[in-house]
Amino acid sequence: MLIHLPIAQIAVDPLILVAIGTLVGFLSGLFGVGGGFLLTPLLIFYGIPAAVAVSTQANQILATSIAGVSAHWRDRQVDTRLGTLMLMGGLAGSTVGVGVFSILKAFGVVDATISFLYIIFLGVIGGLMAWESVGALRTTGGDPGRRTRIRAWMRGLPMKRRFPRSGLYISIIPPIGIGFFVGMLAAILGVGGGFILAPAMVYLLGVPTRVMVGTSLFQIIFLTAYVTFLQATFNGTVDLVLAAVLMLGGVVGARYGAIAGRRLKAAQVRLLLALLVLGIAGRLVYELFVAPQPEYRLEETL
Amino acid sequence: MTRIGCLLVTTTLLTATAAEAQRRQDAERPIMAAGIAQDVIEVEVNYNDSRIIVFAATPQPENPTSGIAVALVGPIVPHRMTHRTASGEERIEFVGAPQVFAIGAEPVVTASVSPETMIEAGLNAQATALPRVDQLLSPKLLSWREAFVDLKMERGLYTFGDADFKHFEGGLRRASIGLPVNAPPGEYSVRAVAFRDGRVVGEARQNFTLARTGLDETLFDLSRQHGLIYGFVAVLLGAVAGGIGAWFGRR
Repeated sequence: MLIHLPIAQIAVDPLILVAIGTLVGFLSGLFGVGGGFLLTPLLIFYGIPAAVAVSTQANQILATSIAGVSAHWRDRQVDTRLGTLMLMGGLAGSTVGVGVFSILKAFGVVDATISFLYIIFLGVIGGLMAWESVGALRTTGGDPGRRTRIRAWMRGLPMKRRFPRSGLYISIIPPIGIGFFVGMLAAILGVGGGFILAPAMVYLLGVPTRVMVGTSLFQIIFLTAYVTFLQATFNGTVDLVLAAVLMLGGVVGARYGAIAGRRLKAAQVRLLLALLVLGIAGRLVYELFVAPQPEYRLEETL
Repeated sequence: MTRIGCLLVTTTLLTATAAEAQRRQDAERPIMAAGIAQDVIEVEVNYNDSRIIVFAATPQPENPTSGIAVALVGPIVPHRMTHRTASGEERIEFVGAPQVFAIGAEPVVTASVSPETMIEAGLNAQATALPRVDQLLSPKLLSWREAFVDLKMERGLYTFGDADFKHFEGGLRRASIGLPVNAPPGEYSVRAVAFRDGRVVGEARQNFTLARTGLDETLFDLSRQHGLIYGFVAVLLGAVAGGIGAWFGRR
């Protein structure tokens, strides 16, 4: 059975799309990441045009993030104050990132820079997380220690505020700064940035892993709503039929992902996230250096 | 199964004899006189299997070399191809090439008609891709066209042999040719070409328009003409779907 996508203008099997949506939704609920880094390539691999895949995944992630965050909200594990600060930084950072992207594009080095940055970031973040979480699993299996050198430096920063849900009393500068940096990277790399934001919250700010997942999803909701609106309004590349089918599986997957996350130790969640990040880095290395590139490309110039 | 539209193909078909055509040169392809005609053919598109049906009559049906080929062609749009080589990238522009090309022929036609005759009859997919004038004599044109057809076949827009033929008394043939599920809206033509002794002896053509209807049309038009509303609808859809998911999760 096939259905026709009105914007992508192709026929697809809805069951395959529901399966893709469920898988990505599960990971989203489990780790607090949007899942765009996984969803976009899966859709392109299935034959969805790249422009439609990139735009529509944001719409699907919006739905799964709302479904996923509700479970964490009920458990009072969403730090809205912290999430709002990071979101403000993120929106400013993505605006700057779009400008940086244009400069890189003008110099013709955008593809190489993106690939290089991607692999470096994913490799370093994934590697450090895996190292730390394996060590933590050997001991308590809880969150990483709060007394680190970088946090000691952050405690000296001005404009301190309390974040009761996270149990933190820190300056508002680091959350905004991290949000800004992640937003800029997200704009340059064309992803949501959840997989960078999530570890940054745990290791740099000291947010407990459980609260990190809910808070990350909270800010992803607003970010993806913003991206969806822009893409749909100015590019017309959001395919609502495709999004609706993906959402069917996504919201279910997100719920079960959140439930599965509760049954795991905090360090286990971090280790699995680290493996996921390293897996993505590995895929990128494969695509860049191993996978055969298509010899011919064809496009209609209407 | 989602039925998102229906296609109305108004075709008055086709074919009949062309005794005179036999005497003509291949370059002057004759037009078969309309001997069989239907008023309206309605094709319901359910994206599982949509087919265009044409009736044609071949002259001298008792002749074992008589047969027909049917082709579905359209819409003609410009294409750009890029070839990645060790030294960089090369490009070619086809000023006009069909987005969809489906052809089917009876076994006798496949066995007896030469490739050159098929090209002259406009039934060769590669030959329908017309390059820019300055690239017409490119030595690589053949390989460009082969790659073009291969890529179109990968996308399911070019099909070969997806046709059924039934024979009736008096030389009447019922030909059914598949419409690709991802065929874009636009102007199409269905052609039936009669062959005998490896040569074209008659041809009939009918144009039709493939159009969006229903939800397909509504969403496409909304995205193109009212982007702001479409943007709000997209965000609303995500929010509502997420809300429903959250609600089900609490239960």
